Amino acid sequence: MTRSDFSERDIHMALDGELPGEERMAYDAWLEANPEMKAKSARYIADRAAMRAALAGVMDEPVPARLRQVVLGEAPAKASAWRSRWWLSAAAAVMLAVGGLGGYVAGIDSVARGGDGDDQLAEQAIAAHVTYAAEKRHAVEVPASDRDHLQTWLSNRVGLKLVAPDLAAEGFDLVGGRLLPAGDQGKAAMLLYEDAKGERISLYVTAESSETSKGTYTAETGGPEAVYWLDKGYACAVVGSLPPERLSDVAKSAYGQLLAGISS
Amino acid sequence: MDDKKAAILSEIPRLRRYARSLLRERDSADDLVQDCLERALVRLDNWQTGESPRRWLFTIMHHLFIDQMRKVNRRGEAAMLPLDTGEAQAAPADQVETIASREIMDALQAISPDRRAALVMVAIEGFSYAEAANILGVPAGTLMSRIARGREELRGLLDDTSRRRSIRIVEK
Repeated sequence: MTRSDFSERDIHMALDGELPGEERMAYDAWLEANPEMKAKSARYIADRAAMRAALAGVMDEPVPARLRQVVLGEAPAKASAWRSRWWLSAAAAVMLAVGGLGGYVAGIDSVARGGDGDDQLAEQAIAAHVTYAAEKRHAVEVPASDRDHLQTWLSNRVGLKLVAPDLAAEGFDLVGGRLLPAGDQGKAAMLLYEDAKGERISLYVTAESSETSKGTYTAETGGPEAVYWLDKGYACAVVGSLPPERLSDVAKSAYGQLLAGISS
Repeated sequence: MDDKKAAILSEIPRLRRYARSLLRERDSADDLVQDCLERALVRLDNWQTGESPRRWLFTIMHHLFIDQMRKVNRRGEAAMLPLDTGEAQAAPADQVETIASREIMDALQAISPDRRAALVMVAIEGFSYAEAANILGVPAGTLMSRIARGREELRGLLDDTSRRRSIRIVEK
């Protein structure tokens, strides 16, 4: 038995290769008998061809180096590693690359600056790191062995869905975490990690941010570096005394996982 | 280089094409691809052996796209989305486009993100309804209605554009 009751829905299915082969002849006959439907089908085919033509060139473009580098694990030049994110740029976000200028900028009257949330965040994260990473026995309040409780507790206190990133691929294991004050009224979570050689890094996360920014920061007097990012609603910093490239890798991995956790 | 990374590398041109159809502007599209690749590498272990790298990567990218579209909308910054295709944007400088290309890309940007993604996934990227529904995380029926409405909307927008163009010609 052949089908004869086709509809507009079948035009789409035929176009998208979803119409069963045995129905094709009956469909074509139906199309011939319905000029209006035939015109519609022809129009959709033409629109699709135009769309394909408009996008065809993309496949032939050379792949940008930055995309290859992500996959191959080669860290791109630092400036481009912290590129403006597509959606932030879309939101016309202000990007600040503080870097070595941090100390200098901090000396300028704060009224003259657009916002100092990023400096404040980096300074607090570094202060916490300097204070607690040096502690052998009392570095954390909740140890990594109690990971689930740690995550729930800090999430509740900080007000963000916090998932302690897995940094094993970067050579770091979670030591544990603690709750800290942040800003004027807020709270921050600090997660401490350690590698096989005993080198420690910390993640500082707070939900107090109302700014959007990212960059790196080191105190004028030297010491550990902070790689930070602020999005509307939360802020994070990764602090440590690692070679910049390694710190950047760790930060990227931590950032990806934190973001995935927060938005999940 | 391991097999997984090689497989991911070979998908980049397609990811870029899909991103371009979603966002149009080249740098923004490549930023989306980069976010997708970064997330993919963090989650390399979640990639089941035997699962198509294409489907896996498209799923990751689609989630990033839709999440951010929602966030942007929540923040009340939907104004960045071209509302009127007529004056939506200056054509990207790095791209030589024919009028036909520009018109269809403008129109594509003007339809809803959900419909745009569904239509492109099937009509350009060649996924089956079942695959596309899986990637987008919607039932097949929803996918089909998005495709049908997307095509309808696209046609209407293109008709409007050509009508405006002919009015301009008449006015001269």
